[in-house]
This record gives sequence, C-alpha cells and structure tokens, in this order.
Amino acid sequence: MEIRGLGMDLKGKSSRRDWLAAVAMGVGLAVSYGVFALEGLLFLLPRQIKVRTRNLFAGKISQIQVGGVRQLFDLEGNAILLRRKAEREFQAFSSTCPHLGCKVHWEEEEQRYFCPCHRGVFDSDGVAVSGPPADGGQNLTQIPLEVDEDAGVVYIEVKDATRRRS
Amino acid sequence: MADFQEQQTPQAGFFQRVSELIPFDWELIRHASAEPVPYHIKKWWFCLGGTVLYLFVIQVATGIALTFYYVPSPDQAYESVAQITQDVRFGWYIRSLHKWAANCMIVAMFLHMLRVYFTGAYRHPRQLNWCIGFLLLGITLTFGFTGYSLVYEQLSFWGATVGANLAEAVPLIGPTIAYFLRGGPEVGENTLTRFYVLHIGLLPTLAFGLVFLHILLIRLHGVTELEFEGKEVPEKERHFRFWPDHATTELLIGVLLMYLLTIMALVFPAGLGEPANPTQTPEHIKPEWYFYFNFRLLKLTSLRVSVVFTMALGGICFLWPFIEQWLSRKFKVPDRVWVMLGVLAFLGFLVLTVWESFVQ
Repeated sequence: MEIRGLGMDLKGKSSRRDWLAAVAMGVGLAVSYGVFALEGLLFLLPRQIKVRTRNLFAGKISQIQVGGVRQLFDLEGNAILLRRKAEREFQAFSSTCPHLGCKVHWEEEEQRYFCPCHRGVFDSDGVAVSGPPADGGQNLTQIPLEVDEDAGVVYIEVKDATRRRS
Repeated sequence: MADFQEQQTPQAGFFQRVSELIPFDWELIRHASAEPVPYHIKKWWFCLGGTVLYLFVIQVATGIALTFYYVPSPDQAYESVAQITQDVRFGWYIRSLHKWAANCMIVAMFLHMLRVYFTGAYRHPRQLNWCIGFLLLGITLTFGFTGYSLVYEQLSFWGATVGANLAEAVPLIGPTIAYFLRGGPEVGENTLTRFYVLHIGLLPTLAFGLVFLHILLIRLHGVTELEFEGKEVPEKERHFRFWPDHATTELLIGVLLMYLLTIMALVFPAGLGEPANPTQTPEHIKPEWYFYFNFRLLKLTSLRVSVVFTMALGGICFLWPFIEQWLSRKFKVPDRVWVMLGVLAFLGFLVLTVWESFVQ
C-alpha cells in the first residue's frame, strides 16, 4: 500500500507533482489564514471617520486684551488656547502637547506655554524652545482661525463630528 | 455489552476507574513531582522565582474579584473604584492586596533576574529561559501600566496618555501600535476599554502560556547546580525532594507573603486621588516607580532618542545570553567583566530611578 503525505511519500522520496501540491497547499493555507488575521487586525483598529470642519465662535475681539490668552473648547471637548498677538492678529493653538499628549497651559508672567509632564516650553508663537519638544523639533499645533473685523469677532476652525464627509 | 461488563472488575478502586476515564500515565505526575532539588534552593534568594509565581496567583485571584465590581467606562470607572474602596465588604483589602502584590511582584522579579544574572544561571543551555523570563518581565510591566490606568484618577489618566502616545515614537510600527492602544488617533473613550481588555484578557493569557513554558524549561533542564566555595556537602545532602519538602517550604513562604501584603494593605491602603480630568494636566505627574527610569530618560533626551535607546536596551537584555556567549567566544572576555557590567547596568537603573524619585 502506498501512503503519500504532503510533498513526499513515506520513504522520503518526492516527485515534482507532490512538491507542487505541497507548495499549492502551503500558499493556500497561508493566504486563507492571512485573510482571517488581516480581518482581525482591521477589526481592532477603529475606522477613522473623516469629518467636516466648521467655524466656531471664539469670542469678541474686545474681550481679549492684546497679549492675553483665552482657553476655549472645541466640539469634542479639547481645550484650545486663543491668543491675541497684536491689535488685529490672533493665534490659536491646540493645548495638546506634541511631545506625548499632555495639556499645555499659558503662563502669563513668563509669556510662554508650558507642559508640566516633561517640562516642555513653547514661546508665545507656539515654537518649542526647551525641554523634549525642543529636542524633537515639535511645535504646538496651530488651529486655523478667522477674524471678522466688521463684526468684531473671532472664529476658530473645529472638527464637527455630526457632519461626516461623504 | 457483555465484553464491557467483563472489563469492569468489582475490585477496581475509585482511582482505577478515574484513570480509565482519563487514560493518562499517572506515573508521569509522580515522576515530575519527585524532582530532586539542589540544597542551595533552601536559601531564600533562590526562591524568588517561586515568589513571583505566588504573587501572580494572588494577582489572578484578587484581580478576578475586582472585576465583579469594576466598570471599564470613562464616566463610571473612577466611581466604581471608589465604590470598591469604600462600600464593598473587604473591597479596600482586596484592592490593596492587588496593588501591593503588583509592586512586590515587580520587586521580586527584578531580584529574581539579578540572582539569575549573578549566578550565571542564564548560560548555556538555559538561554531560552532567560528570554522567556524577560518577556514575562515586559508583560508584568505592561500589567502594571494598564492596571494603574484603570483607576482613572488624574495621575493614572495622564500616565496612560503619556504611555499610549509614547508608542508613537517606536520606529516603523509605532503609529499603528499607538493607534491600536488608544483606539483612535487620540486618547479617548476607547482607550480605557482597550487597557481593560489587555489587563484582564490578553496579558493574562500570554502570561499563563509563558509561565508554563518557563517552568517546563526549568523542569526539563533541572535547576542550575551550584558549588559554593569552602562548603563541602556530602553527596546524600546535595538534594532534597520537591514533594513534599520543597512544596511545603513554598506554601510557608506563601503564608508569609500574605501576612506581609496584609500589613502593607493595613498600613498603606490603596488610596484614590482626584478623578481624571482630560482637559487639564496636573502640575506634577509621575508614573509608578518602576517606570521612573524611563521617565527620567524622557526628560533627559528627545522622545525618539529615549524610545530607541530603551528599545535597544530591551533588545540587548532579551538576547543577552546569546550576545554574551558570542562575545566571550570571540574576544575571550573573562567572567568578571560580565559581573562588572551587570553591576554597572543595575546601578545605572537604580541611579535614574532614585534620581527621578527625588525631583518633582
């Protein structure tokens, strides 16, 4: 009786046909299990939903002094730091430290943004000047904004999860 | 039918019947438990591996108990921990045991590693078991990290945030790992459930598997035999029996550990800080003491440098038995160099840890 395994018979001899069958079986199994594994992996990585942005009322120009910083929140509850740089110039930064995601805050006396986690310091323009963010060249993320001088108000651009991009 | 009844002899005892239901060679168990144990195991510092295992069992038991009350959702996690600590009967005790056993487990693991290193017990043919042990250290530290995050107080929340984002700096696969850990582009509501699943599902499964392999390899190789200078031991006293002698010792150590943990729980019960506030980082944050080494590195160098350095260090430690073997053969390095290197590495770790514990 001849018993044949994958790729060779029991005496360890293999024919070309056996070898091809073994390769085909190997590739087939690898692809099948690979697809299951890939699906499992994708299941674990949540889909990133692209959302539209909208302008959010950030305050009246007159409410913020020149050089002053005001903290406000976007629609997801993330703090944003709005600074009136000059008479007609505003800057908005995400309060999330680009180093490891802690929250930076504005220090009025030092005129700087400071992250308490690893003592990261950013100047008033959001540029990292000392600490690990400066070593890594990571500046604060700037948030686009719009100044409506006629109405005397400032808007910041925020993500709006209720408006999905098709 | 007739055949079947003929096989059942009325004299067959209960054990006989059971062994018919489970056709297993029970002699194997007898053989496995009759392992001769070298006499040096009577010294406590050779029982550190067993101590880790015992603490792991305590963690499993108290951990399962805690899951009966813990709620892994951002708006209820902190409240449920407060409930466990304040309202549940013996909740403070179970939680404190879990906390202190975790800390003791890491201490015992470090000590176990030092013992193995300085007695050269990782050398050929036991290299693989060092690698498995090192993976277990990594898993235990991840246990500590995820478990601490579940408390969901200010410090633990920001520790989790920093840790999850830290993964981002790992070359190539970092962003995917970070995305997976956080359950999105940022730390958010998915993150806590992920840490919970890691802590009570994935990590324990991995740990059980690796602990099994670790012990299996010890059993297959046998415990390293050591010679102590100036101590002549007669052949008869070189070994003692695993069962019941060594097992009894281990059980006694277990009771001692429970006493110790209970005292810790009574004197320093697990507390609860301010609830997590995702919009504000507290002025001073600190991870658990076993991450001080890394926390100090993060302050000293840039993110990329400290992460790559830590990974390289981890890789070298993981493969150390093979690296050392290769270096020893190639350059004929005497053993005392490796001892000095071990002392230096440990001192380096200690200095960074102590340094971080003294600064704010």
